[in-house]
Parts: sequence; structure tokens; C-alpha cells
Amino acid sequence: MTGRSPVARIDVRAHACPVTWVKARIALARIAEGEVLEVLLGDGEPRENVPRSAEEDGHRVVRLEPAPEEGTGTWRAWLERGAPREERTWP
Amino acid sequence: MALSEAEVARYARQLLLPGMGEAAQETLRGARVRVTGGGLATAPAVYYLAAAGVGTLWMDDPDLVTPGAGAGFALGPIDEGRPRAAALAAFARSANALVLAEPFRPGMRPTALLVCGSNLDVSRAIADEARLLQLPHVVADVDGQGGAATTVPVGAPCYACATRPGLGAPPSAEGGATVGALAALELLLLLTAASQEPRARRVEVFRGTPLVRATERQPGCACMGPAAAGLAP
Repeated sequence: MTGRSPVARIDVRAHACPVTWVKARIALARIAEGEVLEVLLGDGEPRENVPRSAEEDGHRVVRLEPAPEEGTGTWRAWLERGAPREERTWP
Repeated sequence: MALSEAEVARYARQLLLPGMGEAAQETLRGARVRVTGGGLATAPAVYYLAAAGVGTLWMDDPDLVTPGAGAGFALGPIDEGRPRAAALAAFARSANALVLAEPFRPGMRPTALLVCGSNLDVSRAIADEARLLQLPHVVADVDGQGGAATTVPVGAPCYACATRPGLGAPPSAEGGATVGALAALELLLLLTAASQEPRARRVEVFRGTPLVRATERQPGCACMGPAAAGLAP
């Protein structure tokens, strides 16, 4: 677990995949390496896909837990931004 | 300015591509591309540039839509007799309502050109104009077996240096679709700097098989500078 508190927060519960991850990815790009983003997610596909995509993209999932105080079926993910990756893989 | 909710939703899958992201998408939104020429690659290229979110597209084509002529799949019988620039602009807007597309007018200041001339001489003249204006450009050439897309960043070897004569076979609609899509992609990569060096290159497609090569200056070409062009005092 990280001791750091989130520096930013987004709510993607109104969106479906892949927009959920796209919005999280954009928000992660706006914070510094090592900082934490809080993402409010719906249960099911977003809860599965966003943390997995974050890890595949080089970030770290430091918390994933139900957040019933935010609404029924809501989950909270804390994503710690990883090191920027070299993305130019086009020929 | 950050992407809007509508833009994030519209470009969601594109935003996940390598080299893309919010900054690159904003770059595309800020781009003003002049699309010149009435070749077979024009309409497919316009479609992909609009769909990708190039913010402003200016169609530079003085001709009218004639039956079966040059605009590919985008324009149909209902467009016959209309100015082709206006018809292509409407086609671009139908592909993506978030972009501005209209006929090119003198005084408009593009940030890049896509050259889709109906033959090599026309393309060469337009590409040379782009080079002199120091505008990055991509040239789409269509021939009977496919064609080529030549990418010319500012200061790079020019289109004339890179051009090779085609087979001389009449251009095909299939070649137009292939090369139009390819040229649009090359321009998107150039605008977003998402491709690897060297970006000055020519992608030739022959019967569906691509061949990529870096372009090189030809000795004595005007693009080598004023001295080579005989313009130096």
C-alpha cells in the first residue's frame, strides 16, 4: 500500500469501456510519476479493465476497493503513475 | 485546451494507439490541412483525416464533380455539377462533425498540405509550392498497381528528389483507396511526430505489398538550397 494520498480524482461511472480507461489514461498523463490518481468505477467491466490496463501501461494499482459511500456498485481505484514509456512504435 | 467529453468519446480508440494521447490529439485538432488536387486518393484521404480529428480541412480543387470522375467513393450522382471542393468538404463533415471542412480560399494559412494531384506534374508543382512555403506535406500518387505516399517534412529532400516514375498504367480506384488511406496516415504521423526517424520517406505499394525507403536529395536539386538552385548571389 502507498502512503500517498491522491492528487487528482476522476469519476468514470457514467462511461463505458474503452472511454473509462481513456479518461483514466489522460488523467494519469497529467500527474507526475509517483503521484496517485483516484478513479471511481462502476462494477463489472470497468472494475476489471481499468486496473488491468493501468498495469499493462506501466502504472501501479495501489488500492482497489468497494466505495459504497459513493453510490451503489461503486469501486475506488488508486493508480500510481509509473515512469513514462517510450511509445513510438510506429515504423 | 483539453479535449472535450465529446472528443474523448469520439477518439477513444485512437487515443490508445502508440504515440497518441491527449497532446497528440490536441495537435491534430489544431492542424489546418489544405488538401489539393482531384486525384483518386483525395476522397479516401479526406475521410481518414476527418475521422482522425484533423481540426480544419480546406479542400483545394477548382473542378466540378463530373460523372465517374476522380473523387472515388465519396461523391455520387447527387453531387454531379457541384464544385468538388464543396462536395468533399460536406463529405468530410459527414465523416466527423467535430471538424471544420470547407473549400480553400486565398489567404487561408494551412499548417500542412496533402497533395493528391491527378498526375505527377500537377503533384510536383503543388509540392514545390509547399516546399517554398515551408509547409510539411505528403504527396499521394496512384497508379495501376497501387501507388506511393511521399512524406516531406520541412527542410527534407523534396518530392521531386523522391519521385520515381510509375508503371504508366491508368490509376485504379482500389489504388486510390489504398494510397489515400496511406497518405492520410503518413500525414497524421508527421503532424503528431509519432513515427520514427527518418520521417522523410516514401512508401510504395505494389499489388498490396509496401516498401518503405528514406528519401535522399538528388544532386543539383533546388531543395538543396539557393546555391544548388543557382539563386545565390
